[in-house]
Amino acid sequence: MKEVEHIIDLLEKSRIAFEKSDSATLKELSDQTIHTSSIEQDPENATVAVIIYALSKVVERPDYRESPNWERFYKNILKETSHLILALKENNIKEIRTHLKLVRKSISDLSGNLKKNIEEVLRKAQVNKASKIYAHGLSREKTAKLLGVTSWELADYIGEKELEENKLGKTMDVRSRIKMAEEIFHG
Amino acid sequence: MDKKILIFDASPIITLTMTGLLEEFKRLRDSSNVQFIITKEVHSEIVERPSQIKRFELEAIKAKDLISKGYLEFPEKVGVSDRAISELTKDVLNLSNKAFKANGKDIHLIDLGEASCLALSKILRDKGIENVTVIDERTTRMLCEAPEKLGDLLQKKLHSKITWDKKYFDDFDKIKIIRSAELMYLAYKKDLLRLKGKEVLEAVLYAVQFKGCSIPEEEIKEIVRKG
Repeated sequence: MKEVEHIIDLLEKSRIAFEKSDSATLKELSDQTIHTSSIEQDPENATVAVIIYALSKVVERPDYRESPNWERFYKNILKETSHLILALKENNIKEIRTHLKLVRKSISDLSGNLKKNIEEVLRKAQVNKASKIYAHGLSREKTAKLLGVTSWELADYIGEKELEENKLGKTMDVRSRIKMAEEIFHG
Repeated sequence: MDKKILIFDASPIITLTMTGLLEEFKRLRDSSNVQFIITKEVHSEIVERPSQIKRFELEAIKAKDLISKGYLEFPEKVGVSDRAISELTKDVLNLSNKAFKANGKDIHLIDLGEASCLALSKILRDKGIENVTVIDERTTRMLCEAPEKLGDLLQKKLHSKITWDKKYFDDFDKIKIIRSAELMYLAYKKDLLRLKGKEVLEAVLYAVQFKGCSIPEEEIKEIVRKG
């Protein structure tokens, strides 16, 4: 895992922000991993970004805390984040992967509506992070594979969000491109 | 009659499926002698992967139907083997993923499906077969048409010093690229949308934009003005 010290710092700050239910800080911390994820293309790094972003969305919903599963979920997240930080400090890649999986598992082990809700939050977090990495210049397919989503999921999200980036992507006069299309069909 | 070929990346097939424009796509194929080709790498993106996800299973079935009915064909139909494409795809990936560096480190920009389209385009060009590649996603198009602008975009977004080497782009700039937006413009001109009026054209162009076709609003307006 690349830039380990930076990730440890992010996770430590994220753990505190999660305890305080500080959504804004969690989102900001999640975005800090995007530049690194775009360059290093390290799946673990990208997963950390997704998890932190998902937690930012979870703490925005006070109703989730009413669920009977909440206490177990909350404790598991804090416990696994601590284990993850320890594994990072020891630079133990096998343990890092195990604890990233356990963070995800603490979600899939839930039941009822909280499970459904948080799984949906995670899925949306993956697509959100993917769209940000795509905005940083990686291709759609490359981004989708890095984040473990499909190009189909990204297409929908990117279409909504990409309006500004579209201007940066202009590479040819549209009339010339139409001519190219007409030539192949009629030429 | 000389062969003419459109090579499809996954992105325009995704756009047209999600906008419900596959019938118009089929009419466009039926109205011309242009063959529509996908590589096996693109097939994986539009059929194999989505068919494993309930949320996109229907779209995968629709894409598969395009193949079974011959609207989309594989490169062997035009005399190009999968092996030849796979070999050149590796070279394309190697070149494209070494072209840009952030703080001295290679940035891997594109993946197999996109690279396979560029590889097939080059193989066809070398055989003297006229071809155009249809790509809705922005990065691969910029890599071919304006790598310096892609470098600027990367620098702006990554807040890192980006360097790029022109020697990697010699072959890419010969690749002709259009998007689903231009295809739907042609469908409109040929009356294949079966709805008339500039507002129809405008609606179709915004529809493809909102499902991932990388086209700025000013270009949509210009196409509508051209009508």
